[in-house]
Amino acid sequence: MPYYPETTVIQGLARVVRERRLPPQAIPRLTPGTLVGSHVEAMSVVLQGDLLHDYRILDAAAALKLRRTDSDQMAGMIQVSEGQRIQIGQELARRGRGRRGKVLPSPVEGVVVRVEGPLIFIQVSERALEVLANMPGEIELVESHKVKIVSNGAVLQCAWGNGRYSYSVFKFVPEDGFVGLSKLDPRISEYRGVVVVSPRPLNKGDLMVAQQQEAGGVVAPSMPANLREFAMQLTFPVLLTEGFGHRRPTPLIYRLLEDNMKRQAAFDAALPDPWSWDRPEIVIPLPAGGVLPPTPALDRALTVGALVRMTRAPWEGLIGKVVELPESPQVVDSGLRVPSARVRLSNERVGLVPLANLELLG
Amino acid sequence: MAFEQVNSFLVGDIGNVHTRLVLIDLVEGQYRLIASARAHTTAQPPLGKVSLGLDHAAQNITDLIGRELVSADSDQLFLTPESAGHGVDMFVATGSAGRPMRVFLVGLTPEVSLVSGRRVLAGSYVTVTDMLCPDDLRSEEEQINAILSGEPDMILIVGGTDDGADDILLDMTRKVERALSLIKRGTMPSVLFAGNKSLRRHIKDLLGEHTNVFVAKNVRPAFGQEQLFPAQIELALVYDDYRSKSPGGFDEVGRYSQVGVVPTTQGYISAVRYLCELPGRGIGPLCIDVGSANSAVVAGVHKEPHYIIRTDLGVGHNAVGALQAVTPEKLTRWLPFNAAAEDLWDYMVNKQLHPATIPGTPEELMVEQALAREIIRLLVVEARPAWGAVDGDELLPDFRPIIAAGAVLTEAQHPGISAMLLLDALQPTGQVELRLDPHNLVSALGVVAYLKPIVTVQAFEAGGLVNLGTAFCPLGHIRRGRDAMRVQVRLPDGQVLKRIIRSGDIWAAPVLPGVTADVTVRLARGLSIDGRRRIRRRVVAGTAGILFDARGRPLMMPRSKERAVRFMEWQNAAMGRERRARLEAEVEPLPSVDDLLAETDPLSNLDQEQETADAVLS
Repeated sequence: MPYYPETTVIQGLARVVRERRLPPQAIPRLTPGTLVGSHVEAMSVVLQGDLLHDYRILDAAAALKLRRTDSDQMAGMIQVSEGQRIQIGQELARRGRGRRGKVLPSPVEGVVVRVEGPLIFIQVSERALEVLANMPGEIELVESHKVKIVSNGAVLQCAWGNGRYSYSVFKFVPEDGFVGLSKLDPRISEYRGVVVVSPRPLNKGDLMVAQQQEAGGVVAPSMPANLREFAMQLTFPVLLTEGFGHRRPTPLIYRLLEDNMKRQAAFDAALPDPWSWDRPEIVIPLPAGGVLPPTPALDRALTVGALVRMTRAPWEGLIGKVVELPESPQVVDSGLRVPSARVRLSNERVGLVPLANLELLG
Repeated sequence: MAFEQVNSFLVGDIGNVHTRLVLIDLVEGQYRLIASARAHTTAQPPLGKVSLGLDHAAQNITDLIGRELVSADSDQLFLTPESAGHGVDMFVATGSAGRPMRVFLVGLTPEVSLVSGRRVLAGSYVTVTDMLCPDDLRSEEEQINAILSGEPDMILIVGGTDDGADDILLDMTRKVERALSLIKRGTMPSVLFAGNKSLRRHIKDLLGEHTNVFVAKNVRPAFGQEQLFPAQIELALVYDDYRSKSPGGFDEVGRYSQVGVVPTTQGYISAVRYLCELPGRGIGPLCIDVGSANSAVVAGVHKEPHYIIRTDLGVGHNAVGALQAVTPEKLTRWLPFNAAAEDLWDYMVNKQLHPATIPGTPEELMVEQALAREIIRLLVVEARPAWGAVDGDELLPDFRPIIAAGAVLTEAQHPGISAMLLLDALQPTGQVELRLDPHNLVSALGVVAYLKPIVTVQAFEAGGLVNLGTAFCPLGHIRRGRDAMRVQVRLPDGQVLKRIIRSGDIWAAPVLPGVTADVTVRLARGLSIDGRRRIRRRVVAGTAGILFDARGRPLMMPRSKERAVRFMEWQNAAMGRERRARLEAEVEPLPSVDDLLAETDPLSNLDQEQETADAVLS
């Protein structure tokens, strides 16, 4: 029976297709330069819009001190119509002219969503939104709320991110770790604005040093779960390649990072959400050399010979090759009898791993 | 196809982690479970298409029994109708995957209609964003923002008795209308009206131009009367509508399913309604489902289903929320090793990142099983008032059978462990029948009952559930280590197993599944089963054998110093691996049960029996 595991993309060179979206509630604005076929940089704004939130109900009759209103009279006084954008102070309704005239100015910026008799309903602009390309590439598709960007490069999907983003060069942490980093003068430090990669799990002190040194971000295998709140308050991206606790690094990820050190890369520390397409990831743009690199396949059945990564103890983070797929469920280390695979690890040791704890490397 | 001609059903259940398929067909005049299979759910990105998971599971059934189910035709998901031994007559789907439906509740009175409204919602995967009633002191602007800011997927309007006063409810509905008229982008919530029937037309006229309006019978048709079932059925349709608009390709599955995508728990509720009608002891069945994102308890109490669904408790997608709810301190009570709270948090966050993974070590397995125990305990505490349990009474009512679903319960390392998880979490008393539902058959049959009730009745009788066995759990306490239960199990071949179980211990009588045995239990003073100290029962052994739980009720947890040893003893005993057995040698011929019962002081010769047992062991 075929088994379809999850796939995590860790590739040295792949065709990267990513969608950037405005929230569905946002009102899109025309974004100059967002055209199919045009080239964008990582920090290019590809979508703009307004995020609207609360509603305000303004009673024009009360504001204009009208005792009785008929609808025709009121319609003549209201100066805005449904769908119209308005600014703070903009005239919404007016009665009379000159010094004796009465005016209802808009107390908020937003959009008029309904006019009902003397009532004006405004949806308030919460904030203006700008969606960045997040990686250099070519725009393949433009829709009102969505843009598709295509690029080539190394892709390293991670386990967790703190919701921040940066496009920056990256360097490995000094040999003595963040302690060594803390000794540097932040004003002249070579790590200033640079994403720091550590192959060792993080602690709170490490994150504080990175903050103090004004690092461009931090990449590490793991950190304690109780640092999530702290990490989410930081202004730079924190990317965990493996997860939480004391996790060993996936060698392939750190080898790829080492090979591409000092290049610019997109560090998209998206907060994991099972119902979102966004995964925390690092994309290192690379020239394809005229060859169209492969797009990672995401619905592959597990087969003998497949390269897999183990996601749970006792071999979490290790990469191996499937050497056998026993037909019947096997008793594994936990004592459970489950469908399993025999996986050859890099040290030639063969382990029995539950299929559920394997992910394919795309 | 007329229902009379429908003989085979394929029921798909789309969970957050697993997609299960069960095939039910007519065999020799009776509907039976033919095969079941499961695959990963493929609702989430990057695949985002639940039909893929169903397809994988169907392929697995084909591999098992050689029956082709998947259609090559792009217009069909499965081969329908059945022909030449392939395909299936009807496909129906249930689902619990995805984000719960957000609901805004509108009602007339907080104590009456809003309570009924909440009860309607309790049978589905929903989160209530806010409520509105005439007593609401917020300004109209604030009320409109309350309706819209939670971005509800559905607005449930309840209130008023049939043909009673309608002005106030109509006034509330106008506020809803005003709010809906303001939505220009994003999701337009559906409306379910289950209030005063004389308002149906007005409500449809008022709200119908903005959104889909579903109408159900009034949840409170008269004073003192409550009817929830029609509203729940209609809610299932709204849920299907919501799911079909959600990402994950549910719309495709809903199109091919005869009933759309019904919430899995609706299936449970319907099945429990049927199970309540079957003859049996106890007040009704109890179904427990601990899933990755949701957990539910559905109980039949005096022929009425009562249920609690928590969309924030699970052992995968909601493992962190579950640990927050149960607290690490409570969880560690079930662990035979010391686990730091930080490690438990790390574990749960990792589990939430990879909810489909399974424990890799025995310690991890114990952590997940401990979480499952505490989730069940939490659900039972919440459900207890609806069962009519007395405040402060920690004992479980006499539910029979107890049915468990969800991989953490059904796929433990040994059936005895599954049984122990249920005994620990529920702490039932008396004689308890334990069943496992590894295929989500209960929910499937509950949905099929809407279409062809005979299938449900027959498939339950045909025994699609895994019988874990019968557990004897005396009420009361005696001092730890004292002899508590004196058990005799007489097998059909005349063999007799005798055992003295000390207080605080468990014994799984090693009887093969399906074997009927005569069990005699005599209890020490201070303990009782059904109010008696001696009982004789004929029971069918399950996959866990026949269980005798002498740990007392309410269950006294071991002190922290003893916890590791005691916990491992319990585990080993439940699995039939005894470290400190006191099994007496089987001697033929043995005195009859009647002879034994005739003894005046059944516990008088325990010392002698202890010596015999020690001799056997040495």
